[in-house]
This record gives sequence, structure tokens and C-alpha cells, in this order.
Amino acid sequence: MARVVVDPLTRIEGHLRVEVEVNGGEVTDAWVSGTLYRGMEKVVQGRDPQDAFYISQRICGVCPISHGHASTMSAEAAMGISIPEGARLVRNIIEGAQFLHSHILWFYTLAALDYVDPVKALEANVADTYALAQAAGTGACDFGAVKDRLAGLVNNGQLSIFSNGWFGHPDYAADMPAELHLIAVAHYLEALQIQAEAAQVIGIMGGKFPHFMTSINGGTSFVPTEEKLDDVLFRLLKINNWVKNTMIPDTLAIAPFYKDALGFGGGTGKFLAWGVFNDPSFDLTSRYLPGGAILDGLKVEDPDPAKVTEYVEHSWYDNAESNLHPSEGEANAKYTEYNTDDKYSWGKAVRYDEQPTEVGPLSRMLIAYLRGVEPVQDLIDGTLSALGAAGKPEVLVSLLGRVAARNLETAYVGDLTVGWVTEVIEAMKGGSVDLFTEHEIKDGSGYGLWEAPRGSVGHWMTVKGGKIDRYNVVAPTTWDIAPRDRDGVRGPMEEALIGTPVSDVEKPMNVCRVARSFDP
Amino acid sequence: MAHEDHGAVYDLLKSRGVSRRDFLKYCGSLAAMLGLSEAMVPQMVAAVESGTKLQPALWLNGGSCSGCTESIAQVDTPDVASIVLDLLSINYFETIMMAQGDDAEKAAEETIKEGGYILIYEGSVMTGQDGNALVINGRKSTEILAEAAAGAAAVLAVGSCAVDGGWVAAAPNPAGAIGVQEFLTDEGISTPVINLPTCPVNPEWIVAMVVDVLLLGKLADGSILDELDDFGRPKLIYGQSIHDNCPRRGHFENGEFVYQFGSEEEKKGYCLYPLGCKGPQTFTNCPIVRWNSRSGWCIEAGSPCIGCGSANPTKHGGNWVDVGTPFLNRHRDLPLGGLGNTAPGTVAGVVGGVAGAALVAHGVGMKVAGRMDGGADYEPMKAHDAKKMKKGGGE
Repeated sequence: MARVVVDPLTRIEGHLRVEVEVNGGEVTDAWVSGTLYRGMEKVVQGRDPQDAFYISQRICGVCPISHGHASTMSAEAAMGISIPEGARLVRNIIEGAQFLHSHILWFYTLAALDYVDPVKALEANVADTYALAQAAGTGACDFGAVKDRLAGLVNNGQLSIFSNGWFGHPDYAADMPAELHLIAVAHYLEALQIQAEAAQVIGIMGGKFPHFMTSINGGTSFVPTEEKLDDVLFRLLKINNWVKNTMIPDTLAIAPFYKDALGFGGGTGKFLAWGVFNDPSFDLTSRYLPGGAILDGLKVEDPDPAKVTEYVEHSWYDNAESNLHPSEGEANAKYTEYNTDDKYSWGKAVRYDEQPTEVGPLSRMLIAYLRGVEPVQDLIDGTLSALGAAGKPEVLVSLLGRVAARNLETAYVGDLTVGWVTEVIEAMKGGSVDLFTEHEIKDGSGYGLWEAPRGSVGHWMTVKGGKIDRYNVVAPTTWDIAPRDRDGVRGPMEEALIGTPVSDVEKPMNVCRVARSFDP
Repeated sequence: MAHEDHGAVYDLLKSRGVSRRDFLKYCGSLAAMLGLSEAMVPQMVAAVESGTKLQPALWLNGGSCSGCTESIAQVDTPDVASIVLDLLSINYFETIMMAQGDDAEKAAEETIKEGGYILIYEGSVMTGQDGNALVINGRKSTEILAEAAAGAAAVLAVGSCAVDGGWVAAAPNPAGAIGVQEFLTDEGISTPVINLPTCPVNPEWIVAMVVDVLLLGKLADGSILDELDDFGRPKLIYGQSIHDNCPRRGHFENGEFVYQFGSEEEKKGYCLYPLGCKGPQTFTNCPIVRWNSRSGWCIEAGSPCIGCGSANPTKHGGNWVDVGTPFLNRHRDLPLGGLGNTAPGTVAGVVGGVAGAALVAHGVGMKVAGRMDGGADYEPMKAHDAKKMKKGGGE
């Protein structure tokens, strides 16, 4: 038996420590610890309802759009404000651009190095690489120049961000050709440009990314013009084209070499999504990626925000009570020590209906699939066939399924986002587009439930005397990296790690893969 | 020019198929972007060609949201791959580095042992919970910072959080967040700190500093420090207010203002000052450099500036959230980063002078618009404003 620690788990947003117990070559127990405390909720309290939008989105520099939208929705719900049709579309476009940005960044910049070995790419034959790219239907670029650049880096001996990487690790698929490694490295570099173009859509409509400016309470302060919509539309079309002709083919080319990853990393099998991208009804279950909960087999029920509670028995808080709803919860930070038998994380154990539910793209895509969202069904059925698992969506509850679901969601969101831009253009042809609802500041309580690329996000706000009296956030990663609850039940990432094969306790590659697959 | 030994950077560029002509063009565009004279180009070229190894750097994350890392990924020229592969050897970079766990920490240790590196720090310094508000690999993040900063040639504090704690330090500052400069002063560490506030940092400014250090040798000769103001900010970037360079400035002078989101005035792109714009009090060159590869910036997208670049490393409570909220209220007599309360000297002379000039200018604008009054913290609403400005948008 060995205790194995990965701290810091790099290539994620934030600071995470993953500790596992390994017996007979696989993980038999796991503890996941969020090691940073900031206390944002207390900073927001006492300020104006509008201020929460600007402050609270800064919880996360990778998903600020989603936090900003959840915050604004909570303020609007508290004060009884509804937003006009134009603002709904503008918010969907900005959110869609962030999904594209985030998922592309995740697959290539953050996750790819777990499956692709840059040193192996040096063995590639450039001519064969073009042939392979054509056969795989993925994008070709100057593979020779990429190989030379890589060789220059390695020969120079200064590896920069690749320093101390696990090159030549036995968990890299032995039969994956060097040419496919080179293709992936080339697209790793290309993806840096494409993710930036997605962020530029937010730069145009939101002022900047990360941390945007325009989704204010009551609607949006972005005023669409022909020129700006043109700049947005053509960027989105280019990104969309790249996702379909590079990112998806890359996924399908690499996945067969890691089919063993269908056999572990699944986790609790329980899922939650609040849903994201409003249709005109603003109903959670009618969203383009609809809300839902999967608690027992692959069956969906409607989500109920009253069923969210947070335990703090294993978290560094000195609260009088545990298992409270977020709108009632306290957060009296008090560090004791890191002790996996007692308290070991700044994260609270958030639960839905007292159960550890996974959130994120796998959750959303399964719920959309089961609710009959046709484009999602087509994408998933096509991928299941390619993996030789037609008609078996349950195989997606695995490491490889979680990776695939995120990439398929990228293709779906790309099409949707282009569609919303087209809708705004059509509305402008018909005259004016309503973007803002005038409103009074008034007292009340409300919540905004939404989805970040990495999972479900909820903000709860109470306004009293015109100021924020209470503010509570349940961030996406909080769900997935949750520690044990009062009864010692593991959180979703902890549970997903159980059974993960470990070939080398010094370099537990699969542990990192499973943890990163949540995009924590 | 004949070069026998071009150095690693030039060799790398060559291996990428970059010709000497392309390379000169690249240096020229860098110079133009940074507002440098074309006369600087030969100096930049020589600096790159004579380099024998990439400049080592460490990028550490304190109490951050990773937004400044995200921001550097949105840089215009050179692209982020060139920065991390061809210009700097960033041997530790938590959010994007290949290594993890102990192997990642070893990469930092080895770099610290060799010395001569630049430390880039993102996020607040987390002193709360006796330093346990952030623990990495079993070590308090404050200990990690003290060790890394002591051996660094210079520290770049990127983003408002690293400069003065940023929003994390806003009242009640639950996690004891402070800025890098204050922390190093408390610890008696004298490594120079260059402060680059805004939330997140604008990536073009990091590139500007890299060029200063790497291509112009301004760290080696110490001149980079002479070009900082008393808040440790490069004057080139932070010497003028957003208001000074705002494309909507003409509307301000004409007294053409937006009083209400969703109004006809908003559609016309009038000045956002009545909706709380902090452009007059905020000293950055955002209107010139813009954001996200120059695709946009806050005011162009229709939002008042919220002053995320206001930061005061010399005084608690100067963070942009405590200074700027309520963000959408029209402000008057802002503390201007607390200048009145700091030691007199060049701060007041240099920064205060510019601030004062800006305020006089906007006083003129307000007078034209018929909206001058006594100057309370928040300007009372005038009757004729109230008619135009229905409740909701601003107050």
C-alpha cells in the first residue's frame, strides 16, 4: 500500500492537491483538497446589488462569464427584473464564446499533454504526418516547421513550460504513431490562436476577457452594430470550422488508442445540471442545454434548487451547523491542519438531495441526450458508433467519456452561437433590438442558476435596504472536488479516482488524467 | 551585419523558418506596438542576437483566479507560444506547465538555485489563517514567495491582486490579502518590484516589460527602475488617464452624455461619465493598447470603466473595489489612490499633477454641460438629470 500525492495538480484553474491510496496497482481511496481560501462572498456583502456582477465573476479567471451571468440573474430575480429578448441573445453569444474558448483551451493546452508526448513527436516522418492528417480528416499545417521548432527547444536544453514533464511515460499509448503525436503538438500550438479568437468575441461584446463588463442587471450595455456583429460572426464561423475539422477529428483519432480509459474514471454515476443558454421561455428545463438531475440509472428528473446543501465536517470551517442550504450557510474559515482523517480542504461538501453529483459537460450532454435534444443525440450516437459502443451511452460514464462529452459539446455550442448571432442580425433588420429593462432597486431574495464550461454554478442574493445583505456562491468546481460529507461519502472526483490504474507511484499519470478530466 | 554567434533566440527563430528580414520586421512591429522609436530597433535586434540563452522566469500563482494567466494567453504580438518558447524559459507556470506535483516544484527549485530569473507573481499574497489560506505542496505560499523573490533579479507583480491585494483585499479582507511589494518590504527583501495593475493584467504590458528587460537591457543597467512612478508602475503605461485618451472624450467636451442604459444617447456612443465611468481617475493606457489582441475594450463595448487599474501598494484600502464601489454611481472627489495620504514627494508631483490636470479638464466638461456642484463624495443628482436618468441604470 502506498500513499501518493500530486500537489500541485497543474494545468487546471486554481490550486488543487490530490492524494490517493494505491493497492495492487490501482487506486483504492482518494482525497481531493482545494488549498486556497479567499472569502469572496464576504467582500460582496454590504455593497450595491450591481457591484456583485463585477466582483463575483472574479472567482474564476477561466469562467468569469458564467459567474457574471449567474450573479446578474440572482440580482434580477431578487429585484423582480426580466430582461428583453435582445439581451437574452447577447448573453447567450458571450456565454457561447466562453464555452468555445474554455473547451478548446482545456483539450489542447491543459489536457493534451496527458495523452500526447512532445518528445515522441520528434520521431515523426513529416510526409507520413500529412498522409495521416488526411486519413484522419484533420487539419494540416506546416508540420515540418513544428517539428523543427520542437527540436530546437529540446536541443537548446531550456524546456520552459515543458520542464520536468513525464516524457516517455509508459502510460502514453505505445501503439500511437509518432505522426499522430506531431499532429497533436501542431494543433496544440494552433489551438492557442483559436482560443484567443473565441476570447476576442468577448473582447468585442464584453469589453475584455477575462472579466467582462456588459451583462448588467436588466440586460446588456453592449449595443450591436453591423460592424461589430460582422467581427463576431466571422470569428465564430472560423472557430466553428476549426472545431469540426480539427478538434473533433483529433479526438476521434486519439481516442481509439486510449480505449482503456472507458474502463475507469466514471465516478458516482449521479449528475446535475442547472442548464445553460436560455430560450425565450427562460425555463431551466427548456434551455438549449437543459437542466436536470440523474440520480438513479440513466433517468432524468427536473432539478430542484431547494435540494442543495453543504457539509463542512471535512472542510476548514468552524460553523455551528452543517448540511445547510447555500442561502443559509455560513463560512467561518478556520484552518486546523491537513488531515485526511479529519479536515482536509477549503472546499465544502456540496450535495444535491444529499448525494454527490458530478457537474460539467458529461452531465449536461447526458441530460440533453436523455431529454431528446436532437443535435446532441446525433453527436453522441455518432461517437458511440465510432467507439464500437452503439446504443450504450452508459460507457460515457468514464474518463474517456468525460473527455469526449466536452469536445462534442464544443461542436454543439459552436453551431448554437452562430445561430444566435444570426438571430440578432435578423432582429436588427426588423428595426430595433431591445437590450435593457429599466428598474428600481428593491429588497428581495433570488438566485441565478446557470452553467460554466466546467459545471453548474449558482449565486444566491438577498437585497435589504438597497444593499446586498447575503451572498452565496456554489461554484462548479466545488461540486466536483467536494470532500467527504458527514457520513464519509466521497465527492465526485474522489469517487472517480477509485479503481484508476497506477503503473508508477512516482508518476501517477492516470490519476492526473482523471482529476483533469473534470476541468477543475 | 555579420554574426558568427547569433545566440539561442535567433537560432530558434531561424529553425522556425523565420528569415532575417522577417525578424527585423518583427522587431519593428514590436517597437511600434510599444510606442518605441524605430531607432530602438537595431538595439533590440542586437540584444536578441547576442543572447546565449533564454531569460529564465518563474510564474507563481498566489491567491489568484488564473485570470492573468488567461490574459497572457490572449496577447497580440508576439503570440503566447513565442513568449513561452522563444523569448522566456518559464520553468514554473502552474496553470499551463507540463509537469505536476513534486516534479513541478523541482523545476522551480532548480531555477531558484541557478538565479538570474525574473519572478512573475499573479494573485494576492495570502497572509490570512497564519499563511494557511494558501498552501502548495505542503508549504505556505508566503514562504514560497519569500524564497523565490529573494533570489530573483526582479519581480513583476501582474494584475491588481499582486499589486495591492486587489478585490481579495477589499473589506473585510477575509483572507488577509496584501500585495507583493508590501509583503517583500515587511520581509526585508529588497528585490525590485514592478507593478502592473488592472484586473486582469493587460498582456501587452507584460510583453512591454519583457522587451525592456530582454531586448533593451533595461534591467541590467537599472534604467527600468528609473522609469517607474512612486507606485512602482511604468510611467509609459500608467502616466495618462483613460479619460485622456478616450475616443468618447469629444462627447464629454460637448456635454453629450449617456444617462440611462438602453437610451438613444447610449446608441449614439456618448460619454458614460454620468453612469459612473472611472476613466478620469484611472491611469492606464487601455484606450490605446485595448484588450484581447486589440479587438475591443470596456468603453467601446458600452461599459463605463470601473477602475480595475486603481491600485495603491503603499496604503491599505486603496484597492479598486473599495475605492470604486458603487461602481455605477457618479463619483466626485475620489481619493485618487490615496495620494493625499502618502508621503509627499514625486508621487504628488508626477501622478498627482496628471490627476489634477485631468480633473480640471473634466471640470470644464461638466461646466459646459451645466452640471458643476460643490463636490460631495457622490454628486447629488440634479433635477434635470433625474428626469433623463430614470432609476435603475446608475443609482
